[in-house]
Amino acid sequence: MTLLAIIIILFTGGIIAWLSERYFKAGGRWISLITLLLTAMLLTNYFTFIHSTGVGTAEPWWDSLQISWIPRFGIDFHLAIDGLSFLMLALTLAMGIFGVLMTWNDISFRRGFFYFNYLWTLAGVVGVFTAIDLFLFFFFWEVMLIPMLFLIAVWGYEQRIYAAIKFFIFTQASSLLMLIAIVGLVYIHYTNTGQLTFNYNALLNARLPPGIAYWLMLGFFVAFIVKLPALPFHTWLPDAHTQAPTAGSILLAAILLKTGAYGLLRFNLPLFPESSIEFAPVAMTIGAISIIYGAMLAFAQRDMKRLVAYSSVSHMGFVLLGLYALDTIAIQGAVMQMIAHGLSTAALFALVGALQHRLHTRDMQQLGGLWGRLPKLSAIALFFAVASLGLPGLGNFVAEFTVLVGSFRTNHWMTALAAIGLIGAALYALLMMQKVFFGKLNKRLEKPIREHEATDLNIRESCALLTLAALLVFIGLHPQPIFNIAEQTVQRSTTKIEAVLNIQKFSPEKISSQTHPTRLEHTSIEDTTP
Amino acid sequence: MSAQELFGILPLLILSAGIVILLLQVSFWRGHLGALATTTITLVLAMTSCFWVAGSLSGATSSIQVTGLLQVDYTALFFCLILLLTAFAISIMGYNYLRLRCDPKGISGSYPEEYYILLLLAMLGACTLIFSSHFATFFLGLELISLSLYPMLGFSLTGDLSPKREKLQSLESAIKYLILSALSTALGLFGIALIYSASGALDFVGIASRITELSQTSTLFATGVTLLLISIAFKLSLVPFHIWTPDVYQGAPTPTTALIATVGKGAVIGFLLRFFNILDLYSSQVLLDMLSIAAIASMLVGNLLALMQTNIKRLLAYSSIGHIGYLIVAFIIGKSTFGTEAVIYYLVAYIITTLGSFAVIGLVADSVEEKVLKGEYPESPLSDVQNPYQRAFYRGLLWRSPWLAGCFAAMLLSLAGIPLTIGFIGKFYVFTAGVEGQMWVLLAGVVIGSALGLFYYLRLLLTMVQRDNVPDINNTGAVQIATSGQLLLLILTTALLVFGIFPQILINWINAL
Repeated sequence: MTLLAIIIILFTGGIIAWLSERYFKAGGRWISLITLLLTAMLLTNYFTFIHSTGVGTAEPWWDSLQISWIPRFGIDFHLAIDGLSFLMLALTLAMGIFGVLMTWNDISFRRGFFYFNYLWTLAGVVGVFTAIDLFLFFFFWEVMLIPMLFLIAVWGYEQRIYAAIKFFIFTQASSLLMLIAIVGLVYIHYTNTGQLTFNYNALLNARLPPGIAYWLMLGFFVAFIVKLPALPFHTWLPDAHTQAPTAGSILLAAILLKTGAYGLLRFNLPLFPESSIEFAPVAMTIGAISIIYGAMLAFAQRDMKRLVAYSSVSHMGFVLLGLYALDTIAIQGAVMQMIAHGLSTAALFALVGALQHRLHTRDMQQLGGLWGRLPKLSAIALFFAVASLGLPGLGNFVAEFTVLVGSFRTNHWMTALAAIGLIGAALYALLMMQKVFFGKLNKRLEKPIREHEATDLNIRESCALLTLAALLVFIGLHPQPIFNIAEQTVQRSTTKIEAVLNIQKFSPEKISSQTHPTRLEHTSIEDTTP
Repeated sequence: MSAQELFGILPLLILSAGIVILLLQVSFWRGHLGALATTTITLVLAMTSCFWVAGSLSGATSSIQVTGLLQVDYTALFFCLILLLTAFAISIMGYNYLRLRCDPKGISGSYPEEYYILLLLAMLGACTLIFSSHFATFFLGLELISLSLYPMLGFSLTGDLSPKREKLQSLESAIKYLILSALSTALGLFGIALIYSASGALDFVGIASRITELSQTSTLFATGVTLLLISIAFKLSLVPFHIWTPDVYQGAPTPTTALIATVGKGAVIGFLLRFFNILDLYSSQVLLDMLSIAAIASMLVGNLLALMQTNIKRLLAYSSIGHIGYLIVAFIIGKSTFGTEAVIYYLVAYIITTLGSFAVIGLVADSVEEKVLKGEYPESPLSDVQNPYQRAFYRGLLWRSPWLAGCFAAMLLSLAGIPLTIGFIGKFYVFTAGVEGQMWVLLAGVVIGSALGLFYYLRLLLTMVQRDNVPDINNTGAVQIATSGQLLLLILTTALLVFGIFPQILINWINAL
């Protein structure tokens, strides 16, 4: 029930925030904050499960709720939480609170409606992270898009309509492919067993013909990597991030991108283990190329927000690489990267937003030498910039290192290629610091600083940012708790895949049809025996 | 003709009686409200009679055959009920439209009452078409709809207060529809003749009994069915028989546009379902291929041409071409687990959303017309911003009239197939049916069409939320629509959300058929 309560509180909180703005001038943001704190408190109910569940427990879910919804299709309102969902929910709510705090005074136009959309996006995301019925998952997957669309289209910057439509068409068209894949999966399961259900637990055991499974897997894969975003489908991201208001960018970068990665780990790998193994080299290549390409483009940007946006493409490439290494350590690294990237990028977007709010520009040619004027902001920006480039001791380093270690066993070349991306990260992060904060104060800034009375970070902003910084340091120095929480989910994905790999390794009749390194050894032995 | 048979066609009898009463009433006592009252009472009675008849159909008598011409069964009654509800909504829209345009006290004295007679006639035709089990009644029903639509399309001419431009466009649309519809009727009639010459029967059951011997071999029969399908495709505005749609939709009075888009298509779909079921035409691969091609073409062409429209009625015309394409995808599956169910669900979704969007446009245009009559607004709009049929007019509507814009947004999201709305469940049904029939090419068409559709629905939606050039808070730009219209929109939006969030209710009704 707690899960349902969280979602309902977020939805109703959104409506109350909208209505309250008529009566209290600043009611919306207070109500949003209270709503989010309330849901965060509800989430702490699950702390007890963190230690009590070890690996290998029969019941995978900490808690679940199942209500019949559309019996005609065997669709249930089915929510459940496990370690991975818990981590994602914690990230979602924390970033939600962070976003409200950081943009406390940013919104002046129709504030009530803004917070309505903000909370509804979060409610949709919470639904995505907890839905275990595939139809419900798709439902929430779409529900989070509409309010996000409004956030970009109403409160965004110059090119907002273009960016909003582009964002929506990319995600919606790809998710229709996922819908076909979902229906196809369910239908095959139905013809095999006579049981029409969208239940994830039941579909895990669906036996799929290999050819069709591959296509279904691709349907899911495309929807998820558009969201991630990975290389050919990333073009919506720089526009959406750049044009979105600061709070929207924080939501997009910290949370919405993670839904793609979450979907890959939760649905693609366990539902289609055989096809995933077959597809892994391609996915890893896409991941590695995204890392390099994202870093290169980030390096070439003038607009600070675009730079951070492209750095997201690069960082999420590590997630893709790690997930498709199909290795426990690499997947753990990918989960860690999801969290670390969420924290660091949210902070960077918040900082760019703070600069934009103060100086009314995010063009790096117009900025420069801000350290003297805004020392606190600059220092914190330095922290998150080096976090983003992967400084040891911070969360991102742990994540990227683990991904690379795990992937190296599976695919040497791609991992080596991906590691080059780290150099790129150092380049663009330091370049940004150099251009914006170091050196002499840009002459063009003197006027805006005088006019807008640019002040340094206030206590509210500093506290919010320092909390994130502390969290990054904490998971950088002591990452084990997060690994522990995620372990059970990761194990369940990998055991299925390892089982398939073992079958492929040891059963001779399968070997002829599958491409696997062992085949070479095997045939060579046979050739020499006569 | 037994008493039971007469009872079976009670909805038709009530509609006919209503028409006669209305004719008499109008000849003795002219009055707009009175005509509306008689119309709505007739429609409500006809709806209630649908329930009575459905109640009497049970167990052994799941259908009543009336004189070999009509057949009453649950599915037909359900269609009938939906269309009558639609007509009820259209009569309210029509009232608001005519109230402003017809002035009986004026010099020339233009009277609006005929509109309701024509509306009831069209409904009589639609219900006959749905009940038909014989080509005579099929033709009668189809022609009754078309014949009453011609004057309804040109009804702006009757109103002496309607703007000149509106009159011209209305006339244009009526004549276009008249000529093209007559052509398609001729083709259909020729098709019927060919079918008759091949099979020697005009009632569907009679043809079905001969079909095994002629379905694959007789070219005469195949040609006949093809010609008939062409005539039907014209009514459904399937590509390549869609050319008339945008002009007719744009020029016609908005309530008539809503009528032609909902009742005109719904009745034909209802007939098509029965025709294909009785004759078992689903087994004819050639026909299905033709329909598939038409469906794909409709989805692509409809959505592509809608992309660049700035006139909202034209945009909706093209989008409705696309939607009928999606519907045909579900239709092609035929008698499978989800096929028929998907068609009916999608049709209900289509009717609710189309009706809702045209209601919004019509009511907004009426509110502007009211201002024009009061002299607060220029009669001929100088720019797109002042023309209520142009997208630019809707700029920032959400901030001016939040509830109206909210309803319209819900309609647009439903048309685009976004969850929480009935349109999404409809599209989900189409996907399910498509996967069940393994028609991947058609499904690809649905995906591409939907992606294209998103663009223009979203652009309209985002036009409504644009925040620049928003008038001051004193609501000068607010759009005031009539109370009856507000109620209508509220009901439609509620239905759209309820059936979108709890689709099982509607699914149960459909499955009970």
